Amino acid sequence: MPKQDSSKTKDNKLTSRRDFLRSAGNYTVASLSGAAMLLSDPKPAKANVTWEEHFQKNYRLMTDEEKQQAIERLETRYSEEYGKQVTVDGTPSIEGVLFGYALNIQKCIGCRRCVKACVAENNQSRGDEQQIEWIRVLRMEKGKFSETDRDQHGYPESFGVQVGGNAYKPAGVVLEGQHYYEPEQVPEKDAFYFPMQCMQCEKPPCVKVCPVRTTYRDPDGIVVIDYNWCIGCRMCIGACPYWARRFNWGEPNLPKEEMNPVTHYLGNRPRMKGVVEKCSFCVQRTRKGRWTACVEVCPVGARKFGNLLDPNSEIRKVLAKKKVFRLRADLNTYPKFFYYMD
Amino acid sequence: MTCYRNHQTLFGLCLLLFLFTSPLLATENQTDQECFESRDGMSQVRVREISPGLVNVKCSSTTGGVLWWGDPFAGTIPMGDMDIEADYSNEEAVVKPREPELDKNKMLTICSMACHDGNYVPIPHSKTPRPLKMHLDTVPDAMNLKHGKGNIWCLDCHHLVERTKLIDNFGYSISFNQPQKLCGKCHGQVYRAWRDGLHGKRIGMWDKGGKKRWWVCTECHNPHDVEQKERNSGFAQLRPEPAPNLPKGMVNANHERMHHGSHPDETGHE
Repeated sequence: MPKQDSSKTKDNKLTSRRDFLRSAGNYTVASLSGAAMLLSDPKPAKANVTWEEHFQKNYRLMTDEEKQQAIERLETRYSEEYGKQVTVDGTPSIEGVLFGYALNIQKCIGCRRCVKACVAENNQSRGDEQQIEWIRVLRMEKGKFSETDRDQHGYPESFGVQVGGNAYKPAGVVLEGQHYYEPEQVPEKDAFYFPMQCMQCEKPPCVKVCPVRTTYRDPDGIVVIDYNWCIGCRMCIGACPYWARRFNWGEPNLPKEEMNPVTHYLGNRPRMKGVVEKCSFCVQRTRKGRWTACVEVCPVGARKFGNLLDPNSEIRKVLAKKKVFRLRADLNTYPKFFYYMD
Repeated sequence: MTCYRNHQTLFGLCLLLFLFTSPLLATENQTDQECFESRDGMSQVRVREISPGLVNVKCSSTTGGVLWWGDPFAGTIPMGDMDIEADYSNEEAVVKPREPELDKNKMLTICSMACHDGNYVPIPHSKTPRPLKMHLDTVPDAMNLKHGKGNIWCLDCHHLVERTKLIDNFGYSISFNQPQKLCGKCHGQVYRAWRDGLHGKRIGMWDKGGKKRWWVCTECHNPHDVEQKERNSGFAQLRPEPAPNLPKGMVNANHERMHHGSHPDETGHE
């Protein structure tokens, strides 16, 4: 501990305590100036981050006034950075709304348009260096096994997904989901497709593990992230059983002309290096009453979205009339994302 | 951009086209570009700027499909009445009219007035479906009509003398803009599911009372070839968007195409 004031040596205890406080203060000043050094880094993205933004509170603990200030700061910075009028929205959840999503895996043709729509809407990083996509579509092989195979080869001892059969008669295995399928035309005859994204769990494992509580579940069921408080520890990525979260390993690449200027603080505002992101049910759209980008773009209408608390909503009709399942229901995460078949 | 079809024959042309247009494609969403909504070639939308820096749709540069809706209600008209009261009655429901799309080259109007007025071309006595070489320009699938497993023919759906209209079971004409009124006659279950919002697609506002654009039957299904060959699924195949980048250091994705099983017949995919 550096001695700042050597003249005060009468009362040792008091002096040392004062010294301690004073030097601690000095340290703080030193660390702040260090931060200032960081902030004065010539890179434009960092240069514009203001003191206030650097030291703002967790979004959930902010007063309405502070939230408004934070939003205005971001609007100014983003507008400068992307050369157009960028709006950052802070709309809270709507009273009496719990969002639910249903996807018809029988209809899905695996065209990946939802993936690209999501990228266009939500300002993900793109390009070869760092590509982030919130939705991933898995190609699943349809099981097709002859009876002799089934009866003679015994229980399958291999990787993959077991298909059909029962305790006495094993059926066989198919491939695990394929991410990188690239046929000329979809849908292929021997496959079905399984899109996955954030399930907006009612008991989200990612929220449980977040050490800084920057990710939390809003009353309308959307699990959101305050990117400014994310420390990039990636615990949530490890905790999520649905592979829904993505990490910005590098500075995101978001071309100015492709940037979507309609953003939400907890949703699609441009992210920085070292934070985690994921599907937010297009919070900037859905809290204004609009359908999500992926629902709107699905060419076969396999995606349904609505208010689970409204008994007349489409999503409730799907739950009432169709064969519905949730992915990994055994984990008790209670996803608000349902898969269904006709 | 329909270059990607018939790529073997058109490859050179496409390459040439690409060379010419590649500076334009750099900024992905050029206004005035045309892309398809659901059915390639049968429901097109043109990119327009709706406010500075904001376009009505963004198109995929690889497949030419709509990727993002800025204005979900562009070019729509009120849906009009449906004979059975449905949920939409308290909502603003709009559709995109099909007539301008189907009658692009004005062939329907001309044919209707010039020949198929009920006199000049007589109404055939035999109702057996047969290939129609004459009509490949208006109906590309005229040589291969696949609907109803051979049990229905043209004039079960198309009006006898008004070729710009469809016909219902009682002889009344139905607009091409409201094909659900016709299709629902046979496909009642699907029609009811569509009415409830379970079947088909809607875009716009999800909330109760919000404005919605409904997609009608023929925007997704090809009524002349509903079966789509052996797939029998109702939706035509299309080219997928590109796969995600491989993780760094991975050269190909063969690992996920490999069967690991011990079965002798499971040597590999394909």
